[in-house]
Amino acid sequence: MVFLSAPKWLRSRLTDRFWRVQEVLKYARHFRGRKNRCYKLAVRSVRRAFVKSTKARREKKRFLRALWITRIEAASLEHGLKYPSFISNLLKSQVELNRKVIADLAIYEPKTFKSLAALAQRRRQEGFLAALGDGKEPEGIFSRIVHHY
Amino acid sequence: VAKTSLTSPPWPEVRLPDPVEEAKHHAEVVRKVNAMIAAGQYGRLFAVVHFASKQWKITSEDLIMMDNVLQAECGDRIRMEKVLLVGADDFTLIGRPLLGKELVRVEATVIEKTESWPKINMRFRKRHNYQRKKIIVHPQTVLRINTIQIFPCLS
Repeated sequence: MVFLSAPKWLRSRLTDRFWRVQEVLKYARHFRGRKNRCYKLAVRSVRRAFVKSTKARREKKRFLRALWITRIEAASLEHGLKYPSFISNLLKSQVELNRKVIADLAIYEPKTFKSLAALAQRRRQEGFLAALGDGKEPEGIFSRIVHHY
Repeated sequence: VAKTSLTSPPWPEVRLPDPVEEAKHHAEVVRKVNAMIAAGQYGRLFAVVHFASKQWKITSEDLIMMDNVLQAECGDRIRMEKVLLVGADDFTLIGRPLLGKELVRVEATVIEKTESWPKINMRFRKRHNYQRKKIIVHPQTVLRINTIQIFPCLS
C-alpha cells in the first residue's frame, strides 16, 4: 500500500542534539569560566572568538610589518643611520629586499646588515653630492649689495 | 677673511674617496673573494630567494612551506632562479636586484603537498541576525632546500 501522508503517531525527533552541541563546545574547551561548559554561553563566546580571529588575520600583517620596521630602525641606528634614509638609499641602490628579510638579517647576520648599512650610507653621500652640484651660481644672475639711503 | 656662521654650509662636508684608488680597491676585493670562492673557504652559505611572491632567507637542509600549489610532483628537484643575496661568514654577494644565474645555484625538492588546517572565517553583525561562517582549506607545499652553490665568476 502506498501512504500519501504519514500517520499521526510518527514524529520526527532530533536525535543528534548531543553532537551538534559538542561541535560548538569543542572550540570552547580552553575558555575560562562557565562558557567552556554551558552551551548558551559558549555559543556567544565561540562566535566572538571566530570573528576576532578573522579580523586578527588581517591585522597580523600590519602588526608584523610594524615590528620589522621597528627592528630595522633599531639595527640601523646602531650603525648610525636612520630608518627612512636606510630604506630609501637601499631602494635607490636597486637592492630590493623586503622588511622581513632585512629584519632577519639584522638579527642573525650582523655582518651582512653592517655591509647593507654601509652601502646605504655611501649612496646617501653620493646623493648629497649630486644634489649640491658644482657649487657655482647659475648663469645670468648677478648679485649686488643694495644701499638704502 | 674671518670665519662666520655663514662661511660654510650648516651640513657636514661630504668627501668621497678618490675614484681611481677606489677602483683599484674594488678590483682587489673582487679578486680576493673570487679566490676564496674558488678555494672553497666558506662555511655554511645562506641565500635570500624570491619565490612564490615572497622572500625567504634560506640555508641548506631547511624546510619551507608555501600557501599555494606548485606544478611539480613530490620528489621533483627544483632550481630557484631569483636569488637576491648570497652570504657566507666572511663575504656577502648582494644582487641589484638579482644575482646572475651562473653565479648561484639553489636546489630544492618538493617533499609534501597537503592542505592547511581548516581555518574559520566568520562575519557577525549584532542585533541584525546576520552571521556567516565559512571554512577555508587551502593547499600547501613543503620544499626542502638541498644545496646552495656559488661559482667563482665575479668580475
